[in-house]
Amino acid sequence: MLSRVADSLYWMSRNIERAENNARVLGVQLIQMLEASSEESLANHDWETVIEICGSLQEFNQLYDRFTVTNIIDYLAFSEDNLSSVLNCIKFARENARTTRDIIPNDLFEVWNDLYLESSRMFIPEGSINEVHSFLKQVKIASLTSQGVIESSMSRGVPYRFIKIAKWLERAEKTARILNVLSEKSEKDAERADGTNYYYWRSALQLLNGYDEYLKKYPPRMNEKDVLTFLLSDEAFPRSIQYCMDHVREAIIALEGARVSHYSWRMYAALDLLMEEFNEEHINSLQVHEFSSFLDNFQDRCNDISLIFSQTYYLIEPASVP
Amino acid sequence: MFKTYQSPKFYDEMMEQDGSVRDHYREFHNMINQFSSEELREKHETAQLSFLRQGITFTVYNDNIGTERTMPFDFIPIIMPPATWDTIEKGMIQRAEALNLFLEDIYNEQHILNDGVIPRELVEQNPNYFRDQVGGVKIPLNNHIFLAGIDLIKDQEGTYRVLEDNLRNPSGMSYVYQNRYVMRQVYPEFFNRHSIHSLEEQLSNMQEAVLSHVPKHCSKKARAVLLTPGMFNSAYYDHVFLAQQMGIELVEGRDLKVRNGIVYMKTIRGLQRVDIIYRRIDDDYLDPKAFKPDSALGVEGLLEAYRKGNVAILNGIGNGVADDKAMYAYVPEMIRYYLDEEPIIPNVDTYFMRNEEQRNWALERLDELVVKNVGASGGYDMLIGPHASEHEIAAFKSKILEDPNQYIAQPTIQLSRAPVFQDGDFYPCHVDLRVFVMRGEKTNVLPGGLSRVALKKGSLVVNSSQGGGGKDTWVLKGGEG
Repeated sequence: MLSRVADSLYWMSRNIERAENNARVLGVQLIQMLEASSEESLANHDWETVIEICGSLQEFNQLYDRFTVTNIIDYLAFSEDNLSSVLNCIKFARENARTTRDIIPNDLFEVWNDLYLESSRMFIPEGSINEVHSFLKQVKIASLTSQGVIESSMSRGVPYRFIKIAKWLERAEKTARILNVLSEKSEKDAERADGTNYYYWRSALQLLNGYDEYLKKYPPRMNEKDVLTFLLSDEAFPRSIQYCMDHVREAIIALEGARVSHYSWRMYAALDLLMEEFNEEHINSLQVHEFSSFLDNFQDRCNDISLIFSQTYYLIEPASVP
Repeated sequence: MFKTYQSPKFYDEMMEQDGSVRDHYREFHNMINQFSSEELREKHETAQLSFLRQGITFTVYNDNIGTERTMPFDFIPIIMPPATWDTIEKGMIQRAEALNLFLEDIYNEQHILNDGVIPRELVEQNPNYFRDQVGGVKIPLNNHIFLAGIDLIKDQEGTYRVLEDNLRNPSGMSYVYQNRYVMRQVYPEFFNRHSIHSLEEQLSNMQEAVLSHVPKHCSKKARAVLLTPGMFNSAYYDHVFLAQQMGIELVEGRDLKVRNGIVYMKTIRGLQRVDIIYRRIDDDYLDPKAFKPDSALGVEGLLEAYRKGNVAILNGIGNGVADDKAMYAYVPEMIRYYLDEEPIIPNVDTYFMRNEEQRNWALERLDELVVKNVGASGGYDMLIGPHASEHEIAAFKSKILEDPNQYIAQPTIQLSRAPVFQDGDFYPCHVDLRVFVMRGEKTNVLPGGLSRVALKKGSLVVNSSQGGGGKDTWVLKGGEG
């Protein structure tokens, strides 16, 4: 397969996943805002968290002069300046799908093209939260439908593996980022009453669509260690970092026919390094205040893997041409 | 439904002059009469939306801002009886064969110029004649024309005539398929009453034709690719469709690399050799080393690989010399010269503004003629005398006098018309037909082709960039019509 095509599939897949994740995070936050409307300060505080998860606080402050719900929705959902705004993710995924139309299933292109056409024609009047909600829902459904098309109609060949690797990497990074941002906040708020922490960890589960699954496995009491273990190293929950990275590895092994070659050993080495730190024993031994640096480290490793992955398959031009 | 439909003065595809329905349209006409106008309108909208949803669009550029548009589709097909198609098919094979012999000749011995059949300067001063680059190069099957798109019109007598040859990168084949696909989706009831030539097997013929152009030096199993300028090109969907249907890789210039005169593509497993390139990039942009140095679309060193016989390029480089509007007038002579046959499908009469006598004759009656720039296409820089204002005629008069080599004139043909259904109404519109000829070891003509229609009432321009639309084209199987 052409390197350019592999690169496009990779970014199509990451952007589909990112659109869905960011849509979910924003949707959850909009509902929480309504619930917590009496506690103004708390709500503002939360918005900062959400911006850090889906974008950058620094960028937001450059673009907007005021911290209003309208501005925040604009930044996260529609802004052309925010590369991770939901609308931009839709656009990037569609552009990449368009350049790989000869590879991907027609249904996949149509699902995403529909979403793109509808969202580029869409007009949402300021302040109409309901319409924002229905847009976010549409994005989630389109992403889920896309995944369904991929699973049910693509041959398990090279293009399929690239799509999957990109999706799992994107997902693992998002989980790490959410946990990182929230554990930092929770640490800062350590002096607050228990209820606050409870609030953070419930948020983490909701933002990652894991609340219901968590309750099936753990008692309804939000113990932060339980939540972290669940989201970091649960082997069965499909948004835990462990699960995502297991699947990245599995897809790479399938892509390489279970062989380690001269061009691919660095990628395996980087994956092994990352997985080593992920055994349950290690995670259990961590103190709560150590999580933040542990997650920082993990995010760096993820970036390394993305880079090595790109180099291995010539997705980027090497810095110097021999 | 058709009660109010009238088409006086022009040849009409469906109606006889006396208002009765032509035989081969009768079945269709009866069926349409059974639909209510509400049903028709609904179906019309479903069809239009289906193109947008599938992303079958072309890009129109205005001040460098591209907008994706669909080609308007009209559901009333052009129906052709078997005998008519038979003649067209033979005529197109003949014409493409003669044009290919012409290209082979002028890039080698130039017999036709030496014998004085075609003025030497018309070839040698043509900006698309690339003798320096490709003169004397031996190419697979001696075939310069892998895919030709030949545009036909019908005059007021109902005679098909060739309007234009497209031998460089004719586009529109995907529309033929999509028009048929949408027709089947939206109007399935039409198809069980008609027996028409299907299109499916033609794509495997096309793939075979591509793969038959094996270069002199080649890998064990020839690998073919389709080279596109990329998703911002107006015909990008055409490229995607053809690559997908032929099962060949769709590549851009940046995916290819020439090393030691051999072409490779950059894959996730490193470089892989490429043997045959069906390119949809114009000559000028193909290789910055040999043509435009600032081309970012092309591949450096591609021409060298071509000259060494390490890669086949389809269509051949330098075909532009044979399909401009000046050379067009000589195609009937080519057919006589190379094949010793009479042209089966005639040209439209053409007058050269470079010829003083013809020029003077034409300048006196510009209001009756169509004037075209020999280097332009897509309906641009063109005067339609009977529709032009005095001011426009005067402007063209001075253009012609300033640069007579650049213009030709033709009598205004009363282009035939066919019924369309738009905005809830039937009315007649001018149509033309692009026929696709695929040449490899064998020659195939795609049954029917792309019928284009000038949807604006009274307009003569069928180009999609200027408000034209498409129709499905049915060739009836023998025994009917």
